[in-house]
Amino acid sequence: MIPIEHYLILSALLFCIGVVAIITKKNVIVVLMGIELILNAANINLVAFSQYDHVQIQGQVLTLFVIVVAAAEAAVALAIILRVYAHYQSVNIDEIKDLKG
Amino acid sequence: MSGQEIISSQSLEGLPMLALLVLMLPLISFLTCSIIHKKYANQAARLSTLILASAFIISAYTFSQVWGANAHHFKVEWFSIFGEQANRSFSFGLLIDNVTALMLLIVTFIATLVHLYSIEYMKGDDGFKRYFSFLGLFTFSMLGIVLVDNLLLIFVFWELVGLSSYLLIGFWYQKDSAVAASKKAFLVNRVGDLGFLVGLMILWWQFGTFDLIEIVSNLNDPEYLNSKFGALGVEGSGIDKMTWLTLAGLGLFCGVIGKSAQFPLQIWLPDAMEGPTPVSALIHAATMVAAGVFLLARVFVILSPGAMTVIALVGSITAFMGAIAALTQHDIKKVLAYSTISQLGYMVMGMGVGAYDAALFHLLTHAAFKACLFLGAGAIIHALHRAEHAQNIHFDAQDMRNMGGLLKKLPLTSITYFIATASLIGLPFFSGFLSKDAILTSAYANANSLGGVSVIIPILGLITVFLTALYMGRQIFLVFFGEFRLERHKEETSGIGKHIKENSWQVQLPLIILAMLSISFVYAWSPLDGAEGWAMSTLKNPERATFWAGFVSPVLTKEILHEYHFLISGVSVALGLIGLIAAYTVYKPGKTFEQTYFQAQDYRKGLLSISFNNWFLDGIYHFAFVTPILKISAILNFVERKVIDKAIDLFAVGNVVLANITGWIDRAIVDGLVNFAAYSAGMVGRFTKSIQGGKIQTYFIWAILGMLSLIIWLTL
Repeated sequence: MIPIEHYLILSALLFCIGVVAIITKKNVIVVLMGIELILNAANINLVAFSQYDHVQIQGQVLTLFVIVVAAAEAAVALAIILRVYAHYQSVNIDEIKDLKG
Repeated sequence: MSGQEIISSQSLEGLPMLALLVLMLPLISFLTCSIIHKKYANQAARLSTLILASAFIISAYTFSQVWGANAHHFKVEWFSIFGEQANRSFSFGLLIDNVTALMLLIVTFIATLVHLYSIEYMKGDDGFKRYFSFLGLFTFSMLGIVLVDNLLLIFVFWELVGLSSYLLIGFWYQKDSAVAASKKAFLVNRVGDLGFLVGLMILWWQFGTFDLIEIVSNLNDPEYLNSKFGALGVEGSGIDKMTWLTLAGLGLFCGVIGKSAQFPLQIWLPDAMEGPTPVSALIHAATMVAAGVFLLARVFVILSPGAMTVIALVGSITAFMGAIAALTQHDIKKVLAYSTISQLGYMVMGMGVGAYDAALFHLLTHAAFKACLFLGAGAIIHALHRAEHAQNIHFDAQDMRNMGGLLKKLPLTSITYFIATASLIGLPFFSGFLSKDAILTSAYANANSLGGVSVIIPILGLITVFLTALYMGRQIFLVFFGEFRLERHKEETSGIGKHIKENSWQVQLPLIILAMLSISFVYAWSPLDGAEGWAMSTLKNPERATFWAGFVSPVLTKEILHEYHFLISGVSVALGLIGLIAAYTVYKPGKTFEQTYFQAQDYRKGLLSISFNNWFLDGIYHFAFVTPILKISAILNFVERKVIDKAIDLFAVGNVVLANITGWIDRAIVDGLVNFAAYSAGMVGRFTKSIQGGKIQTYFIWAILGMLSLIIWLTL
């Protein structure tokens, strides 16, 4: 059995990569990919901790929900990005600042 | 006031309207001449002459309606002062009685003639237009005094007369002497006006009104004697009231002393000769100096017996002093000026002895003959001036030393001058005789009934008759007879005599009219007694107010006056003739005086210098008032500069230092605090603004950092 620390390290790495991608990337799509990475890091954690719950495997069930919600979210986000691109002719996050105070 | 029925009204209809029109016409003339362009000066002068002439015509109509008939009184509320005890209301009103009608006639008549005369006399003068506008103002002010019904308004117009006389005497303001003379006239008048003001205050306190009719009706009220003392309700007896009324009368008389050039303030009148000659005629005959006598007539009923004695004394002293001063003058106009002082003395004396009618009658006759004399003198001066220009040499055209023998050269002027002179001396068949003898008779009757100090009054009056004949005889002989001295004594002026010619009709017409008005038949059929003439029989002495019934007053009934009249007129004619004979023996052509007169100097020493310098009054005032005041002023000036200014400087320096300190505190501390607060607010703003960058990624970093710190805080 793989000890739980490995999962946690992997998930932490994924999380960090996601965060860095969100913070540093200019492209909105890459930022969206960073968000997906963070969701997946959370999913790994949920699956990893579900090894202690043989009866109900709640972690794995929640992960399935998350994947579904993430898929929906990605669909919505991509649709928004398409509209944003149509409006601004760009997906550079620095140029999309009409709401700046 | 003078025993006439008074018709009172609140509305401006009929005569009050006409009177107001007469008052306004000279004002219109003044305004027109002031605003019109200089290009039309000649037309303006003619227009204002016409305006004055129409004012005269309206006055004549007013006169015909009022004279000997009902007086008219128009009165409206002017303004009120609300006080704690009572409301005081001031009224504006016109009172048109016999005296007013007569004065309207005199003033507008003389003013019209002076306007006409001035068109020629002032031709070519730079201030031609200004001259005519001032004449209008002068006439307006004088008419105001004559027309208004209360003392406050009289005072207002009184001051206006002072102002316009100042403007006209100083008309040639480029001449230092004219400026000095106008200043002197104004200041001397101011001294008298102070007394006037005091008199006004006392009357206000006593009666609570300035309305002459109300004051008189108060005095006639038997309750007044026993009622509360004065309007303010102080208890007091009749004697107290008498004292206050005497003081009030003397106060008003101070104003008269100033305006009518009575002793001791007569010094301004001779200097007023600096103005143009027609102005002198106006001042002397109709307007300014007559104002004083007119005021006495207006307040005649209010005057107390004590005040009247003082008035009579001052008048007789003035008459005497003026006549003495006229004896030795070289300036043709100065002689006339002193003669005016002397004649005004007669009028005031007449008022003082209770001869109201005679004094006003003398004012009337004097207006005509003195205007004639002044305009005649002006005509001579003008003729000499033109000769001066024709020959292109310079000499003093007013100096009698340069004259002589003018009868042949200016026959018409000379004859009018002779007639006016005869009237002034008081020879029978001339107007001056009637009025002067009426005054002297009253003075004699007054002295007879009162005795004491009043005896001096007729004596001084009779001496003055002699002196008048003497100085006028001197003038006549020196100016009109003999040879033309200037030509005789100065070679470079030879041939100038043929340039002396009569003036144009504008100058001659007034002379002829005025000379005719100096004949006695204009005023009374009898050449020897003016009492039955139209002037005196209508201008009856007003009834003394019943308030004075308890006090000693002179008795001047018609019978008594008639009894004395023969004696007095005989003495006065004799004295006048003696004066003329004396003048003839001393000054007749060919005598040493006339032969050497061209070289005559100013009289600096001896008895004659008293006369020449008008009793040294100027010197006395200079010594007693002017010099001390100048010294005090110098001391005050020194104190002002060295002490007060220094203290103020020191105070100012202290203030500046204090201001600098507070300024520093203001800048460094107060401003510093405010700036620091603003700066820190700005800092906070900039810092918080930097977080709200509008970048989603920045927010995300902060969210991550916040979450991390939350986790770290929870795990610790």
